[in-house]
Amino acid sequence: MTTCVWCQRAFPVSLTLPEILAWRPLPQPPLCPSCQDRLTPITGNRCPDCGRQQATRTVCHDCERWQAVPLKNHALFRYDAGMKAYMQQYKFQGDYALRKALQAPLSRALSRQTYDILVPIPIDQQTWRTRGFNQVTGWLRDQPYYQALAVKDDHKKRPQSAKTRAERLLTPQPFQLVEQVAPILIGQRVLLLDDVYTTGRTLRHAADQIYLGGAKAVTSLTLAR
Amino acid sequence: MNELSEFFGRRMPADRVIPELGDGQVAVQRIGQRYQCQRCQQWLAETDRLPNGAWYCRQCLQMGRLTSQTKLYTIPEPNRFPIPAASRLTWAGKLSADQQRAAEAIYRQVQQGKDQLLWAVTGAGKTEIVYPALDWALTRGWRVAWVSPRVDVCLELAPRIHAAFRDVSQCLLYGEQTVPYAYSQLTICTTHQLLRFERAFDWIVVDEVDAFPLATSPLLQGAITRAEKETGQHLYLTATPGEALQREIRRQTLAVTYLPLRYHGFLLPRLQVRLAWRWRQMLAKQRLPKGLVRQLQRYGRQGQRFLLFVPHVRDLPLVMAALDLAGIRGGASVHAADHDRTAKVQAMRDQRVSFLVTTTILERGVTFPNIAVVILGGDDAVFSTAALVQIAGRAGRSADFPKGEVTCYVQSQTRTIRRAQVMIDRLNRQGKQRGGHT
Repeated sequence: MTTCVWCQRAFPVSLTLPEILAWRPLPQPPLCPSCQDRLTPITGNRCPDCGRQQATRTVCHDCERWQAVPLKNHALFRYDAGMKAYMQQYKFQGDYALRKALQAPLSRALSRQTYDILVPIPIDQQTWRTRGFNQVTGWLRDQPYYQALAVKDDHKKRPQSAKTRAERLLTPQPFQLVEQVAPILIGQRVLLLDDVYTTGRTLRHAADQIYLGGAKAVTSLTLAR
Repeated sequence: MNELSEFFGRRMPADRVIPELGDGQVAVQRIGQRYQCQRCQQWLAETDRLPNGAWYCRQCLQMGRLTSQTKLYTIPEPNRFPIPAASRLTWAGKLSADQQRAAEAIYRQVQQGKDQLLWAVTGAGKTEIVYPALDWALTRGWRVAWVSPRVDVCLELAPRIHAAFRDVSQCLLYGEQTVPYAYSQLTICTTHQLLRFERAFDWIVVDEVDAFPLATSPLLQGAITRAEKETGQHLYLTATPGEALQREIRRQTLAVTYLPLRYHGFLLPRLQVRLAWRWRQMLAKQRLPKGLVRQLQRYGRQGQRFLLFVPHVRDLPLVMAALDLAGIRGGASVHAADHDRTAKVQAMRDQRVSFLVTTTILERGVTFPNIAVVILGGDDAVFSTAALVQIAGRAGRSADFPKGEVTCYVQSQTRTIRRAQVMIDRLNRQGKQRGGHT
């Protein structure tokens, strides 16, 4: 029996024979099966640009509008009711312990990506004071990353999640390069990491800055789309 | 002034500096080697820590996160309420002789300042019995809370109590409410909301004290104790007190008032047990026990509406499919996470559906006139003694149809079922002495 990190109920763990015999600690899933079911992984056909789940493998309507600023994104889960509930508790209520729920899938996804430097999307100072953690780096276990970006001080404080689509697309560049990290980026393949891909505006702003720092290629990975 | 009243008898974080509040108290405090949340009194785990070094409480996170960097502020309850000359009761109804006797007993014991329990059968009209004592408390300028672990019960009670005490300031608090908090003399809320209060109430009425999750949660029991003033008292209302409460009655630390008769004067329907061998295996093949099918078909012919209780949510689709195969149609299934839950219950009230298949969520707080009750798998652990008595109490509640059938299909007889039968029989024996008829 272990306790589910989300619903905090105890649940039995069913082990397979190889897991018992393998010379390593027994797996301890952080989520119970019913909480695991609330998150829907993106499988099968998806948009090649933003990673959205869809019936075909063609570029989706939203990405067609982004033709001028291309960016390849990979997403792990659908941003449906279950994922919204997760984000609500983790990010907005600030339940840092919930980070454990998605550490394993993220770690698997990172091992499948090709990149040299991992750059998480930063949070601003005000959010750091109230929330107390960066929701993106919380999901990382011991993967090395460089906090190459910082939120500009003059960036006005209104969360992306509180805006409409049109307002989001008009958001000015919120990021700047951190000076001492900038030379490291030259000629590297950079992977951006964020929580949710909604319009793609934030990630493209971040990619612009990373390219300015001299990176060779920028792709992105998000938990939800 | 107005913004200060939010802190009267409460323990709240402040989002801006208010000089009158003083220094406040750190919300998560280190006590010995461990950290304790000062709102819910629970101990933190060693992992409940943020990267910025603060500790935070996960137990009461839903009410807004408290960290070791937050401060809680409180102002001792000033009881700033008008004291009227006359009664505030605007309820026009009348109590039956039995109810009157119980009401007087409670009234007397409130004046003596005793903690008490009203043990009244399901469908006895518990709420109205408390009105005279509540009226007395309110005219003395007491601050009173009427709480229940079930939000449905609060939502149902609030308009009734509002109509009964129209001139008393009241507010209703629960998790998803949108109306802001207002300092008022009578607070109707879920037990969770009491976590925000501190030595505020002179009298707390706890409705359905044995209901989930209060019965098993030390967090919520502690919330009631802390929300009550040192000089305060409480009244528990229930039809099925648990072991702990019955022990308190025997030790005489809790004054008890019995009301073993329903308001219409008929005895409680008894719980009949029928064996259904391997019903779960049959259900997997979409078949129901023969006796059950015959009984339900008889109900169908007679036009008798019924509630069918099953142990788990995952049994609902199976049972619905099996009923459909057996030709019993025209009903719906309801469970806790059902979005149309209220709509379906309303459809049952309006007689638009002929039966409901449900889990223990409908065990209390719902009244349908002329209903038969059937339990499938009453030996499952989810049906506690209290749950079974409550479920049986759904039958025969209205004065026009005071009798009802309650049948329980089990794989094997269990102790909880036996205890439920004993409890019903005991109440019926007491009821008979007071002139109840079968």
